[in-house]
Amino acid sequence: MAIVELNKIRKVYDTKVAVEGLSLTIEPGTMFGLLGPNGSGKTSSIRMMIGMTVPDSGTVSLFGKPFERTSLHRVGYLPEERGQYKKMRVVDQLVFLGQLHGLTEATARARALVWCERMEISEAVEKKTEELSKGMQQKIQFIAALLHEPELIIMDEPFSGLDPVNATLLMDTLVELRGEGKAILFSTHRMDQVEKLCDAIALISRGKLLLSGSMREIKSEYPRNRLQVVFTGDESFLGHAEVAEAKNYSGIAEIKLHREVGAQAVLAEAIGRGTVINRFEVIEPTLEEIFIERVRASFGDEEARGIVDA
Amino acid sequence: MHNVWLIAKREYTERVKTKGFIIATVLIPVLMSVLVLGGGFLASKTKSNSHIAVVTSDAVFGADLKQKLESDKENTMKVDVATPSEETRKRLDGELLDKTSTLSGYLWVTPAAKAGERPKFSYKARSAGDISTQLALQSSIKSVLILERLTAKGMSVAEIDALNAPVDIDTSASGNTMAALASAYVMFLLMYMAIALYGMNTARSIIEEKTSRVFEVLLATIKPDELLAGKILGVGAVGLTQVGIWMFAAALLSTSGLAASLIGSGHSLISGLQIAYFLLYFVFGFLLYSSIAAALGAMTNSEQELQQLNMFLMMPLFFCMLMLLPIIRAPNSMLSQITSLIPFCSPLLMNVRASLTEVPAWQIGLSFVLMSLTIVVILWISSRIYRVGILMYGKKPNLPEILRWLKYS
Repeated sequence: MAIVELNKIRKVYDTKVAVEGLSLTIEPGTMFGLLGPNGSGKTSSIRMMIGMTVPDSGTVSLFGKPFERTSLHRVGYLPEERGQYKKMRVVDQLVFLGQLHGLTEATARARALVWCERMEISEAVEKKTEELSKGMQQKIQFIAALLHEPELIIMDEPFSGLDPVNATLLMDTLVELRGEGKAILFSTHRMDQVEKLCDAIALISRGKLLLSGSMREIKSEYPRNRLQVVFTGDESFLGHAEVAEAKNYSGIAEIKLHREVGAQAVLAEAIGRGTVINRFEVIEPTLEEIFIERVRASFGDEEARGIVDA
Repeated sequence: MHNVWLIAKREYTERVKTKGFIIATVLIPVLMSVLVLGGGFLASKTKSNSHIAVVTSDAVFGADLKQKLESDKENTMKVDVATPSEETRKRLDGELLDKTSTLSGYLWVTPAAKAGERPKFSYKARSAGDISTQLALQSSIKSVLILERLTAKGMSVAEIDALNAPVDIDTSASGNTMAALASAYVMFLLMYMAIALYGMNTARSIIEEKTSRVFEVLLATIKPDELLAGKILGVGAVGLTQVGIWMFAAALLSTSGLAASLIGSGHSLISGLQIAYFLLYFVFGFLLYSSIAAALGAMTNSEQELQQLNMFLMMPLFFCMLMLLPIIRAPNSMLSQITSLIPFCSPLLMNVRASLTEVPAWQIGLSFVLMSLTIVVILWISSRIYRVGILMYGKKPNLPEILRWLKYS
């Protein structure tokens, strides 16, 4: 059973098309990355997923059923804009949000305390939100999204504005939650995070889906025909027939092959010639490279440059 | 319904805890009672005690007037009597300009040209605003003139005093007019403040959630309509608590006899029925104005922008303020009846009328029916604007855009 299933959803705001025929599926126990440059329709898609706005056409299914509001008790949502009641005490705030998600006051309070401990902000529990640092506020928001133990966790740009220590804490927590079988969707424009965390991704740009699938599938579509070799000694193996192009930066060679399978032959050739190999790596295309290439193919150079800037 | 309750409960508990609420709850009744009671007290006890000079060639008139102004039960002035001459005028003018002198004015009496006519009086004062001295002079001169004339006709002083005694009309059956007016004014002002304040609070609360983006989290579980309903109920409950406390204080004050002894009326200032009307009209007035405020709040992005749209909320209230005097003068005139039935005015004006006069039951009933209908219509429009508006950031929408929002389901 798919946790989320979007089928050709479309949303137009006045004259601007925010999302155009987007379809995607999220399975339980996966970490799903929704990628795209700023203004590409990530937040609009998420809003439709949780019924905040209604798609103009297309359907949204949650937990194998057409969208209904009662399903929302099983969803945890962290919006991109962090919003909290400034004058409210942290614990009251968490209890209130927990109750809105169908918890009793006692359960919400107990879980709030446990989570604050886990996120290392126990000392903030009795304080007002406005007295806290931005990072702490973000953690509280994170807890608020998880308090009711949702099966689907949706996070819009969860890592933006966090220092590396806290970002890691957050990532580790998400990985643990995935281990418990929860489906996690997060949107980001930072590709490096996605490569590390995600099982599946969808790339969108200008409201359109460019690419989707499991990380392995996507990468396998792109040739692994590049090598990086760190060596000492004879460099004549760079002239092997499988090598299309080679650059040697005094002991670190970047090689482009004609075929993926040529890598082993090149390695054998180097060893045969007595070259000492310190490192030999088949380089996978990075998601960023794939993304830029896809955007360039669909929309031209101008748009692709925008992604790199973002 | 559970969600509405949760939102309302949060709104209520957070608001009631604020210092502003506690201060306003305690301070306003104190202020009001100081104004009403203090005002009444001062008015009943103020006497003119200025120092003036009377310039007259008629020594008897001068002495009589001096006696009247210095030792009357209403006045304790200090009066110098002088004979008219250019020198006297110069001296008195000089004293008026002299800052160390206590003289606050002088009365110049020009004898009548023919016998039997009244002399001419002119009063030159240090400050033109000294009304109490002028009033005291006027009435004193009049009684002295009458006294002199009647004495000349052969009446005894005792007979004249009996004639001059003030007339008391017993109004205890229908209540003291002054007290009723005072309480009508106070009720109007309280209602005006409470409705404007809590209407604005609804809008502010919406803007607060909008600017802090809290409702993005809220909308992930609950519907905008529930959010709006909870908000209005929560803020309204806070208002009702505050107004309830005020009314309780007013009832306490008026039955304690304190008010009566200070103002000198045996009738209680405010009746149980008036309190009930006040609370009911507050509830309806709040619902009406806060549903407008909710739409305004959803349309704007900041308090500053809200201030600009504020007039939509304040204009009907200003109109009521304008209509207050005509209604107090003639609470049963056609104008009063019609304006007090306008739904936007009923909470303020019908309430004032009900405290001044016996309003027919059908008019009270009709005012509630009309208000209910208006509230339903406005809430319908507001909830639509709210639903779309809270998710819109950036520029303020124009009228065609708002009309388009109404069509979104």
